[in-house]
Amino acid sequence: MLKYTIRRLIGMIPMLLLISFVVFLLAKAMPGDSLSGEIDPLNTNPQYIEEMREKLGYNDPLPVQYFNWVSGFLQGDFGKSTRYKVPVSTLLAERLPNTIFLGVTSLVITYILAFAMGIFAGRRPYTIGDNIIGGLNYLGLAIPSFIAGVFAIYFFSFNLGWIPYAGSVEVGLERGTFEYYVSRVHHVLMPAIVLGLLGTASYTQFLRNDIIENSRKDFVRTARAKGTPTSKIYNVHIMRNSIIPLITFLGFDIATLISGAIITETIFTYPGIGQLFLESVGNRDYPTLMVITMMLSTLTLVGNLVADILYGVVDPRIRLD
Amino acid sequence: MKKKSLLLMLAMLLILSAFLAACSSDNAEPAETDNETETEDGTAGEAQSGGTLTYGFETAPEGLFNPAFYGIATDAEVLALFDEALITYDENLQPEPGIASWETEDNKVFTFTFEQGVMWHDGVELTVNDWVFALETIASPDYDGQRYSNVQTIEGAEAFRNGEADSISGLNVIDDYTIEITFDQARVNNLVNVWSYPMSRAQFEGIPVAEMSASEQVRTKPVGLGPFKVTNVIPGEAVEMVKFEDYWRGEPKLDGINIRVLDSSTIVGALGQGDIDMVTLAPVNAPEVEELDNVEVITAPGLTYYYIGFKLGTFNNETKEITEDKEKYADLNLRKAMAHAIDRQAWVDAFFFGYGKPIDGPVPSNHWIAADSADLETYDYDPERAKELLEEAGYVDVDGDGFVEDPNGEPFVAKFSHYATGNPTFETRAQAIVQYWQEVGINAELEMTEVNLYYEMIEKDDPAMETFFGGWGTGADPDPTALWGSDQLWNYPRFKNEESDKLLADALNVDVVGTDEELRKDLYVQWQQLVASEVPMIFIAELDEIWGLSDRVENVTFDVSGYNNPYEWSLAQ
Amino acid sequence: MVNVTADTGKSQEKTINMSPWAIARRKFLRNKLAMISSFFLLTVIIISFLAPYITTADISKVNISQMSLEPSGEHWLGTDKSGRDIFTRILYGGRVSLLVGMSCTALVILFGTIVGAIAGFYGGFVDSALMRFTDFVLNFPFLVFVIVIGAIFQGQIDGLTILIAVISLLSWGGVARIVRSKILAEKENEYILAAVSIGCKPSKVIIKHLLPNVLSTIIVQATILFAGLIVAESGLSYLGYGVPQTIPSWGNMLSASQESDVLANKPWIWMPPAIILTVTILSINFIGEGLKDAFNPKSNR
Repeated sequence: MLKYTIRRLIGMIPMLLLISFVVFLLAKAMPGDSLSGEIDPLNTNPQYIEEMREKLGYNDPLPVQYFNWVSGFLQGDFGKSTRYKVPVSTLLAERLPNTIFLGVTSLVITYILAFAMGIFAGRRPYTIGDNIIGGLNYLGLAIPSFIAGVFAIYFFSFNLGWIPYAGSVEVGLERGTFEYYVSRVHHVLMPAIVLGLLGTASYTQFLRNDIIENSRKDFVRTARAKGTPTSKIYNVHIMRNSIIPLITFLGFDIATLISGAIITETIFTYPGIGQLFLESVGNRDYPTLMVITMMLSTLTLVGNLVADILYGVVDPRIRLD
Repeated sequence: MKKKSLLLMLAMLLILSAFLAACSSDNAEPAETDNETETEDGTAGEAQSGGTLTYGFETAPEGLFNPAFYGIATDAEVLALFDEALITYDENLQPEPGIASWETEDNKVFTFTFEQGVMWHDGVELTVNDWVFALETIASPDYDGQRYSNVQTIEGAEAFRNGEADSISGLNVIDDYTIEITFDQARVNNLVNVWSYPMSRAQFEGIPVAEMSASEQVRTKPVGLGPFKVTNVIPGEAVEMVKFEDYWRGEPKLDGINIRVLDSSTIVGALGQGDIDMVTLAPVNAPEVEELDNVEVITAPGLTYYYIGFKLGTFNNETKEITEDKEKYADLNLRKAMAHAIDRQAWVDAFFFGYGKPIDGPVPSNHWIAADSADLETYDYDPERAKELLEEAGYVDVDGDGFVEDPNGEPFVAKFSHYATGNPTFETRAQAIVQYWQEVGINAELEMTEVNLYYEMIEKDDPAMETFFGGWGTGADPDPTALWGSDQLWNYPRFKNEESDKLLADALNVDVVGTDEELRKDLYVQWQQLVASEVPMIFIAELDEIWGLSDRVENVTFDVSGYNNPYEWSLAQ
Repeated sequence: MVNVTADTGKSQEKTINMSPWAIARRKFLRNKLAMISSFFLLTVIIISFLAPYITTADISKVNISQMSLEPSGEHWLGTDKSGRDIFTRILYGGRVSLLVGMSCTALVILFGTIVGAIAGFYGGFVDSALMRFTDFVLNFPFLVFVIVIGAIFQGQIDGLTILIAVISLLSWGGVARIVRSKILAEKENEYILAAVSIGCKPSKVIIKHLLPNVLSTIIVQATILFAGLIVAESGLSYLGYGVPQTIPSWGNMLSASQESDVLANKPWIWMPPAIILTVTILSINFIGEGLKDAFNPKSNR
């Protein structure tokens, strides 16, 4: 297992290098640069813009620019955001915790909901409760997250006033106080649910079907025959078998959450990486754009790796090396 | 002067700060207090003190909270609350003494005298050395902001920047409160152009210029001279400020101001629920806010305007010369016809909900140099006149398809370009313009271009750019040379006119106008008449600045230069 | 599965002599939910593509005098902020959204199948090279790259073509993997070995013998993709990186909800596209479920 993991990690290096190349070329191919919007005759002048282009190295030959970027990157120098004028790493340090918090909350909610609903439905297949959950599931699978987000804001924020419609925390609260953390959770709840919607629906469905299938298996029949209480059969025997495959999804979740965060953060004005990414595209903030793209690609790679490894851990029949 | 107009547009256009030229940075400054217009609730005088005002922002600040380094209007909005320039502007955008007063005889050498006992938020007293520090920082070759043009005019700045001198020779510190500044030449606008924000020397001690913009003194722990001091910055979300008791004009009435960033879609809800007390509104949100009981909508004249430009030539960036080589819109009657075809009032009402009005020339009507519309050639909505003009110019429908052909009988298609962002209203308002042209028989086509590419195409005179939509603003210094001179990159229509160049040069020439503001205005009026009759642009509309104020806010007033000094603001208890 | 019908025994007897395709068809036709969904989807498709004959309102014409009207007899679903008829735009929007969805699905399936089939059939170096490439593409975060690439070409080439091309180019990886694994399993069968040994050309073996056997998998994949790609289109358009604003699509119509006034007070502007989009996806999902069920020899419903 360790050997396999190491081999996979090493295998990621050329992949990342290739991706960095693509990312760089794409960023350079975008029309305009961070200065092309600076047209304010009373604030700046064309000479300044030309000078800055020179200073920022936009006029260097492409291979030189690429080399500078990659070598900086390897030394942990991610460059300086052209819009915020701070090192990109600082910018990420500000936003990343928010996105991680959102992602983790979303995962927790997803798993809790999926377990509750999946087990409920799985134990009582073809009852009204199961059908309701099934219906909700189909809806959850079909409704695009941005539509869910818009509806959530419309109903829960505007009409009912239950949840905040923007931000990651109430302004004016002392960092570290109890209210501060309550407010953060309050703010993250709705975006997290929306972000985890698709996952919740598919896991619920998976778990339900798996439980039903397992309950028809021989070991359950044996347990029943032995007189094991039904609840114990479900909670111990069946659950153990049904949870295992679910765990392997964790790796894929990482990749899904990344893309999802871009849309969800935008809808809920939640200051995280996704929002920063869209901003950097709009502002042609190349250093930020490239770093975030690299980061998200790396995470996707890692996510796939985690999925594969977990798969091997859970199912010893799959030989990884 | 404020960046209000800029912010407003920004929020509306959802794009880069710089895209609209609003008011100049050096003038970003709350209006003076003593000659203010009366407050809207008439309760001035015995306002209660205390309370924290929540100020909503539609765009997140970048976090460059220093006048020398900020880039976008939103940051300037924050700055205006906690920092202050030496010179301020009255409601006619004329400079008036603030922390500093000045004297000059020849518009070349100025003597500035500072108020004594003005404190920085960290308790250090302000001296002229802080100003020198700011000027030298900006003139430093390592400086990465964009304010050098405001220092460039000081004698010796260029030499300092090139490393040929250790200090700027034009700065002569007489004592802690007096400084003499010599400019490289006498200019009418030396005073309004010069950089007028000091920088705390004590705070930036030991920080190299290149690292200043990333330092915490700029980003999270800024220190200013204004009525409020920053206590906490939550990047991208909020800025918290408390009152600065030692503010030189007097103790502010509010306990503090919290700035909170909201998405534009949630502004109205937040106002209605009383989550925010004050916000600049985009026109689209204003009608909805008008209906709220607890919020008042206040408009103030703005300084930005929208236009449709015609590409008349190309600009050579090497020689800085315009060649008038684009023939398609060279016919003056064609341009006039296209101007008459547009119902600007209806357009403004439809897309800006009446928060604006048609404009007839290149200067917003509330600026002191603005010409009266009666003195300008105007192009009111008159489709019949437009059709006549088209016919006179030889544009007639020969093949009977309902659209005119050009004088040679070739099909004539007018391409109209508008920038595209995520904002869906841009497409419809542009489409409306195209329809106006179609109604008078011009076969017009709409092209929506991604905003970054858009300005690149305009600057490079891309053949695909024929008629284009844009917005400009005017600052306290009205000199429009950067937008209209025939050697300027940002003269987007490529308008080349010797008379215009001469008028603009004369208006800045001390030998011609001296210190006579009326004479200067006369020249600008003549220039506006010229531009209006040549129609290099169809001037569409100037917009109001719109504010939403909750009914507990008192003593906030607005004029063309922005709001009154925030130290006067108060909240009903 | 919600749609259980209980006539298992009888149908099994009858199906003994039927071809697998006939069985599948039979099963699918008996699946009420899938049938209703198919009917709905077909209606949406037909109405959308016949939009010019159904409604006469001009989709792009801005009508200043009729802005933001509530639903009425004249405008069934009201008008948007530019005075355009929502119903008309839903129809035209559907045309664009479905067109993008279908074109992308077709391209993705085509490309994915070609790569997967070649990799699976030849194996060895070809296989590992192609699969490396597939992994490479799969490792790009989809949304991130669509936005970046879209931004490059925005306004330069026809926006719709670019969108379709970009979405397709980034989405074929999954199909390629699935097709490859199916082909790998299938090619071990003796009839394939026989075909190869009598000298059939590889292209012929793939097209004539292998693909028909993985077709059912491809069809199920295509339905899932179709739904996913419509969502991708509308999500991108909502963010402003999708279909050009001059063309109505469901996603573009939805982006109006970014204005608070529209979101809070004019639900007739954003709700119709939101609902039709969700219901369309829902019906495609049901059809997908139905197909999966129909092709699954183990299911006996």
